[in-house]
This record gives sequence, structure tokens and C-alpha cells, in this order.
Amino acid sequence: MRMIIHDLEQSDFQRLFSRPLNHTMVISPDATIRHCLGCFGCWIKTPGACVIRDGFGNMGEHLSKCSEVLVISQCCYGGFSPFVKNIFDRSISYVHPNFRNRNGEMHHKRRYKNTANLRVFFYGETITEGEETIARGLVAANALNLGWHAAEVSFSYDIAELEGRVG
Amino acid sequence: MKIALINGSPKTSGSASGCILQNLRSLLDEEGSVIGEYHLKRPGVSAEEVAALGQSDALVFAFPLYVDGIPSHLLHSLVQLEQSLVKEKQETMVYALANCGFYEGHQNRWALAMMESWCSKAGLMWGQGIGIGAGGMLPAIQSVPLGYGPKKNFGKALQQLAANIANCSADENLFVTANFPKLVYKLAAEAGWVRSAKANGLRWRDLSLRR
Repeated sequence: MRMIIHDLEQSDFQRLFSRPLNHTMVISPDATIRHCLGCFGCWIKTPGACVIRDGFGNMGEHLSKCSEVLVISQCCYGGFSPFVKNIFDRSISYVHPNFRNRNGEMHHKRRYKNTANLRVFFYGETITEGEETIARGLVAANALNLGWHAAEVSFSYDIAELEGRVG
Repeated sequence: MKIALINGSPKTSGSASGCILQNLRSLLDEEGSVIGEYHLKRPGVSAEEVAALGQSDALVFAFPLYVDGIPSHLLHSLVQLEQSLVKEKQETMVYALANCGFYEGHQNRWALAMMESWCSKAGLMWGQGIGIGAGGMLPAIQSVPLGYGPKKNFGKALQQLAANIANCSADENLFVTANFPKLVYKLAAEAGWVRSAKANGLRWRDLSLRR
């Protein structure tokens, strides 16, 4: 399965994805999402699922079925927009609370065995070179933590530039 | 000098960020500054908070690392603050302390870099960032005096930061971890997860449930 996580207006999303999407789950900012409370309930109360049941409580399970995760996000200070970041924050049930060493650093043990290609498309009119450096480092760190492959990171001035590139 | 200590943890109480600011405050109190405490635990900042932060000479953020970055609720508040603070054009210094559950303090580097980028967009001046590893230990060792035992390096970094805040000066980011063996930290943390799971009526192997 492919997952698309984005923060676009519906009209912009439809412009980028005009054809029917098969085997694809789309996570859009059209529903109310609550923020992670840092309670670790997704590890120690209901392992594998967030205790907040607002429609975004099963992100870890959904990610376990993905072979590709495509992210389209406004670039905020070199990272994701608040909505997209919230999706990642609410997804930590995807990993196990215990630790493993990877690349000489402590990271979380994997709960699931799937590996996904992480493709990230940042957009924004004021992205600086420094923010591009941060964003590339962030996506590499995300991929390392989640046990994925950082397949693509790109930057666009506006959403129209993404047409034909994100399919 | 007005200093705003801003706790960016979503937890109401018992957060590592709260412990860090409490330790920092004990050093800043010696400098005789006027200190205000704020807790941005939800997305959004009130008009009163925006006004108070806008009048501060130094903003000191402490927050937990979430998925290699700034927690989304705090990020939401930073976007709002950027839009308000950029209009005021004050010479406010910004300092940030990011803590993570991983052992290595440098895993906070991207979150601190994002805070520096926020500073630039908000028209503020970046002072210094401290990346703290093994942050999960801090509430458990709150009674250990700063600068001793597992808090030796943490204490040194906080002292340097407190001096920089008092002088409104900038410095290189620092990355520290507990003076405590990595393997012991790992084993203690993992035993803690098992204890918490059992307290919730689960078995240790339930921690590995797949859905």
C-alpha cells in the first residue's frame, strides 16, 4: 500500500492527483486531529495504537502496511508543517519502546517488518538553503528511526511545480 | 532583564522539560533577573502570552524531541508567535533546550536547527541551543544536585547557558548526555516500560503487539 500524507487544500490535491488512486491511503488535513500528549499510552496501555481515538489513532498500523510513504508539506523552519508533524507525532506506535543501536546511535526497536520508501516534497516561497540542509537531515533521521529508506527529498517554490512529479 | 522560561512539553506535570527549566531557574535566580514562566502545552498561544513574550529580553524554550523535531503543538504555537513577534522587531535573544529519550544529545540537532531558523524568520536573535540525551532520566533524578553524579555534564552545560542568558550573549550549541553508562540506561529504560505495562494489566510480551 502507498500512503500520502499532505497539508494541501482539497483543490490543490485534486490538481496534483487527478487520476484515481489505487492501493493508496490519503491522510488529509480535512479532519480535526488532536496533538500527541506524550503519555506513551500507545506503548504501555494499548501497544500499537494511540489512546486518542479521533480517527488518527491507528497510524502505526496503517504505516505497517505501506511500501511507500509520500509526504507533501509546507516547509516550516526546515521541517514539516504542524499538521504533517502531528501525523508523525501520532504515529510512534509504529515503533517499539525498546532501544536498538543503529549507526552507533540509540534508536527504537522495530515493531513491524515492512520497509517503506520515504519520498518528501517540501514547498514554500521562503525556503532558505539552510532550511533545505535541515530538511534533508531531518528526513534522513526520520528514515533511520523508522527503519525506512529516504528515497527522495525535494523543494518547490509553489504547489504548481509539483504537477507531474508526485504521482 | 526579563526572561521568559517556556515549557514546551504537552505534559501537565512531571515532564523532563519542566525539570530542566527548574534547574536552569535556580541558576538564573542568582543573577537577579525578572523571570516569567509559561507552559505551551496545547497548540496556540493566548493574546496575553504573546504580549508577555514580546516584552521579554530572552525567550528560553525547553521541549521534548518528537520524531526528530519540534512537537507539533509547539510548532503550531511557534508559527503563531512568528507572525506576532516579527512585527515588533525587538532585540530578543532566544535559547532552546531540547531533550530526547535516546542516549545521545546530538540527536536533538535538527530540532535546535529548526528553532534557530524560527528565530531568523521571527526577526529574533539566536543565542544558544542545548541538546540533552537520556532526558527521560531527569525526572527520576530530580533530587540529585546539579553538576554531580549523572547530572555532572548537564550541570556544566546549564551553567554556561545561564551565563550566556544573563549576558544576552550567543554561543555554540552544546550536546550532553547523562554521566551514566549507555547500556545501563538502556536496560533501566526497558525495565521501566515493562513495569508500566504490568501496571496497566499487560504482560511484557504485549509491548510487542502488532495490529
